Amino acid sequence: MTAVELASTDRELMDPTSVDDIEWGVRLLAATPTHEGRDRELLRQWALRADEFGSRLAPVPSTARVVERDDGLERMLLARYTSRPPTVELYTDMLALAEKLVDARGWRAWYPPGSVRAAALAHEAVHAHLHHGPAKAALKQALDHTVLRLGRHRLAGHVAGAEEVAAHAYARTVCGLGRSPLLLTAALRAELTRPGREK
Amino acid sequence: MGVVILLVMAAGVALMLTRKLPTAFALALLAVAIAFLAGAPFTGKNSVLDTVLQEGAPALAATMIAIILGSWLGKLLDETGIAGTLVRKIVEFGGDRPTVVALGVLAVSALVGTVTGSAPAAMLAGIIGIPAMIAVGVPKVTAAGTVLMGIAVGIPFELPLWQFFSTALELPIPTVRGFMVKLFPFALAAALAFVVVETRRRGTEHAWSLKAVDSPGSSGAKPRSRRAELGDAPWYALLAPAVPLVLALGFELAIIPSLLAGVLYALVTTTRPGGMNKRLLRTLYGGFEVAAPPLVLFISIGILLAAVKLPGAVDALEPLVKAVSPHNPVVFVLVFTLLVPLCLYRGPLNVFGLGAGIAGVLIATGIYPAVAVLGMATSYNQVFGVADPTSTQTVWSAQYAGVSPQQVMVRTLPYVWAVALGGLCVTAATYL
Ligand SMILES: [Zn+2]
Repeated sequence: MTAVELASTDRELMDPTSVDDIEWGVRLLAATPTHEGRDRELLRQWALRADEFGSRLAPVPSTARVVERDDGLERMLLARYTSRPPTVELYTDMLALAEKLVDARGWRAWYPPGSVRAAALAHEAVHAHLHHGPAKAALKQALDHTVLRLGRHRLAGHVAGAEEVAAHAYARTVCGLGRSPLLLTAALRAELTRPGREK
Repeated sequence: MGVVILLVMAAGVALMLTRKLPTAFALALLAVAIAFLAGAPFTGKNSVLDTVLQEGAPALAATMIAIILGSWLGKLLDETGIAGTLVRKIVEFGGDRPTVVALGVLAVSALVGTVTGSAPAAMLAGIIGIPAMIAVGVPKVTAAGTVLMGIAVGIPFELPLWQFFSTALELPIPTVRGFMVKLFPFALAAALAFVVVETRRRGTEHAWSLKAVDSPGSSGAKPRSRRAELGDAPWYALLAPAVPLVLALGFELAIIPSLLAGVLYALVTTTRPGGMNKRLLRTLYGGFEVAAPPLVLFISIGILLAAVKLPGAVDALEPLVKAVSPHNPVVFVLVFTLLVPLCLYRGPLNVFGLGAGIAGVLIATGIYPAVAVLGMATSYNQVFGVADPTSTQTVWSAQYAGVSPQQVMVRTLPYVWAVALGGLCVTAATYL
């Protein structure tokens, strides 16, 4: 994928916390292919609905095998879910960096010790849940994106990226985080793409 | 002398393989060397300067025009948002099921593959298609492979390619079309199998990635492409990529007018009259840029073909090639199926490299009928177009998806090898 430059404003670079959780969801959607040029208001609506869906989701047990890996910094990954076989990969080097960053930024109150790992497991559990169960249809219904109307019949369309927003909202809720994991994701990205950072 | 020519060819392949020399330059040099070895005079009839360079260079002119038109239409499909809209609709309608999205992108790839080949086609379908597939959970290698397999479904109906084989192998267009129609089912079956089997086998994949949050900033500092500002193209404009194919295949119109009609259709369905001239010129010039690599290649291939068809070269090569070329249909299929890997990594059987020269030799010496050579060349092209880790479309798709071209080769090769086997079987059964 082409690395898109982080073009945040100066204020945001100094203080990413000035961007609220929903706006991070909007940005995730905006960066997801098929949404280029989509109306910002519509994206905000979807981000809101997906966030609400995720935070209301009843706790889902994770049955996936957990594998730890240490090449997350290289691949820019925190965690990954693969359905065949159901496996959650945790990238321990990135999780460690996340914990360090939480301390450095003074965000401990939002992300308690060990909560990033818990959030990663919760996040990937949602993917597993949506992959296997009827919850996927419920999310689609919640988003209410009509792509085709024939008389009284309406066909709901898929919103790429919404599942991701929901997964982050779920992780925030069940892990009791003060802010969305997306804020931490953005901070990690800024940290790793900062000019002058040695490899 | 024939042995020396073959040694020079081997040296040329070595130069291309080791990337000491770009393929186009290597082929032209090779042609001049072969012409001298074949005892051609400097000027005059069957000479190095007049026959090989002067007449050879524009020999594939019709193909080059077709390539330019295809690239032009490709640029239009991009700028007018037609290609992007097709992919967006696929995701909206089928996004819950990654297999459905992959099949949809496969179809779009096949459609644009009929208009323009190689990297431009991969980009048209892949720029949105590959990340869109990844976003709905299709694993990366499968996503890259899907675009490539899709383009390969379009290859049998790629109009510039019909023109190329028609001119290079001196066959009428209907003959080329006739074989391509027989090759198509194999390409289609392999591509469908690839998507269905690979998405089943690998399942879906979701990553919590740092790349997900790209914050464009409230000021909107990120420059937006023209496409992004336009939004969706109207539904009837989405038919544009199919127009040339319908005309050339359904109505049997000539290739250049068919492609021109596609350009016009894409234009009038998306552009206000006031902006037409500007857009036409801009996309045409943009198309030249995209078409530059194949254009240079086709100039060199024309030169190489002129060289291997020189009487001296034919006389020198005929006994050698005759001695090793199998005529029994079963042996023919077996031998040439086993030789499939030789079209990879800029190998000697690459149709857009020395393979064109070898095809020329086979026809000029009369060892196989031209249609049989067409069958071989197109069968190999199905492999080359998907799995060659040094070809631009494979390199681009793999890297854009974030995997290595070799990974894509390993995953796709079994499927396209089967296509080549199918094509060779048809060839042996029909033309030998
Ligand atoms: Zn996720």
